[in-house]
Amino acid sequence: MTESSIALKAQGSRGVVPWKQVLLLGSVVALVLGIGLGADSPFLLSLAGYTCGFALFAVSVNVMLGGIGEVPLGHCMFFGIGAYAPAIAMNHLGLPYEAGILLGMGFSAVLAVLIGWLTLKLTGAYFSIVSWGLSGVAMVTALNLEITGGPLGLFGFTRLAIGPFDLSDPRTYFFATAAILLLVLIVLANVRSSRFGNALESIRQGRHLAQSLGINVFRERLKALVFSAPIAALAGALCIPYTQIVTPEVMSVLRTVDALLAVLIGGTGLLFGPVIGAVIFTILPQFLQFDPNVKVLVFSLIIIFIMVVAPGGLHQLFKLIERRLEKRSEGRA
Amino acid sequence: MSSSSGYAVEAVDVKKTYGGVSALKGVDIRIPQGSIYGLIGPNGAGKSTLFDILCGITKPTSGTVNVMGMDVAALPAYEVARRGVGRTFQRTAIFGHSTVYENLLYASYGRMRHSAVHRLLRLPVWREDMNTFADKARDVLAVCGLTELRDQLASALAYGIQRRLAVAIMLMNDPKIIFLDEPVAGMNEVETADFIQLLRAISGRRTIVIVEHDMAAIGALCDEVMVMVDGRQLVTDAPERALKHPDVVAAYLGASDDELV
Repeated sequence: MTESSIALKAQGSRGVVPWKQVLLLGSVVALVLGIGLGADSPFLLSLAGYTCGFALFAVSVNVMLGGIGEVPLGHCMFFGIGAYAPAIAMNHLGLPYEAGILLGMGFSAVLAVLIGWLTLKLTGAYFSIVSWGLSGVAMVTALNLEITGGPLGLFGFTRLAIGPFDLSDPRTYFFATAAILLLVLIVLANVRSSRFGNALESIRQGRHLAQSLGINVFRERLKALVFSAPIAALAGALCIPYTQIVTPEVMSVLRTVDALLAVLIGGTGLLFGPVIGAVIFTILPQFLQFDPNVKVLVFSLIIIFIMVVAPGGLHQLFKLIERRLEKRSEGRA
Repeated sequence: MSSSSGYAVEAVDVKKTYGGVSALKGVDIRIPQGSIYGLIGPNGAGKSTLFDILCGITKPTSGTVNVMGMDVAALPAYEVARRGVGRTFQRTAIFGHSTVYENLLYASYGRMRHSAVHRLLRLPVWREDMNTFADKARDVLAVCGLTELRDQLASALAYGIQRRLAVAIMLMNDPKIIFLDEPVAGMNEVETADFIQLLRAISGRRTIVIVEHDMAAIGALCDEVMVMVDGRQLVTDAPERALKHPDVVAAYLGASDDELV
């Protein structure tokens, strides 16, 4: 795991500014500002905003996949709850969008405790299949309840705004989602290099060894799920300003599969691997005007290609370039 | 309590059955504190089952098991580990995708107190944890001869070095009692000699329990051995006497000649 080695190096040189992280953060902020201020097309801006929301979901999925090595096929359920909560809050309860977001995140966390309690004793394919089944139950429920609007879903929302920021303006939408995504990534980077993050990494690599070191494997895995669920819910809520409608489709397992593909394209090992994947995954089809079926085919081919060339995901290529540059600068020194 | 009685391990009439098969048919074992104790016997004698029961991984069907004053049968395995029981595995267990130093970082989970929030805000709890860890890691690396290899990827290390790392991982938690499952299996003579030296260096006041097939290693290390056959104890004595015991010789001749050295 590279984050922790970076963190360790940073701690080793205590007091020195971690210039690498500052540089990274600076260039990301510059990129966001560049896109946000440079792009004029409202369509592109809201697509970029949606991409950040989807990236957030991919990041949440990667907490499970890259974090504890489980494939959380049912994660779309938390995404769906996150989308339905503000929709229900606005259309039925007369609550504002922000309150709905918080309700959705809270509810998904509680649900994650219950579901995790039942399913996380399982591992591998067993966990994936059971969680997929549960998300199917959630989708059928949304399809049949009145409060969710049945198959038609919920639409016609009043005011999609976070505080003073009106998300129906594409530029504000993009800046808001990008800022939230960045914030979540910063929190995640710290979580990964904390005691909890170390526990997850050790469980992923060897649960029996982890247990022999005093780690309560089940509890830490449960914590990972409870930690990732509200992030997925937040992602679901942040996609509403783009989609303008919430239908039972949001809980479709295909959404998880999309996120998993994005994670695999970008790489599970790095924090922003899923973000790279999500960007490619949402932007590319828009420009190439793919039919959804062709999309799946094209991305499957991309995945196979990446698995052959860079099994750790695209970020591996970046690492390779970084190492080359480091070597060159060492050579000069 | 066993700690006051001078025994690190006291188990009485331990039985274990898997379905209809009984792996342990009532074993009594007493391991004096601070000693190095060997568990030997032909394959299928129940050594590994007893071993797993003593370190809390497997629960006995009946009998009492007291390790360092705790009833390990009543505690979850991670809790037994937290209270000072360390173990290594037969198949070398290390975190292969991480560096040696990161391996030690993961291993110090039990000694750390900070949460993700402490880490995020760089609070003193986190700093203390990291400083304590750095000091401890330096000592453990030095004892295990891994200082130079600190930043190497664990999976890239030679086999003998990986076994040292497995011991280093265990030592990070300062266990009071150590269980080693076939520690020198698959090692060449030089590696075995080095490893025996390492075990002597870390033994100190710790109790060490070893399951091993390498009789030379057992003879060089152990104060006392228990020979097991068919789910029962056969002989408990000093290694040189136990290995010459007629029953033991007979039991081993039944298995294979070259297992006795």
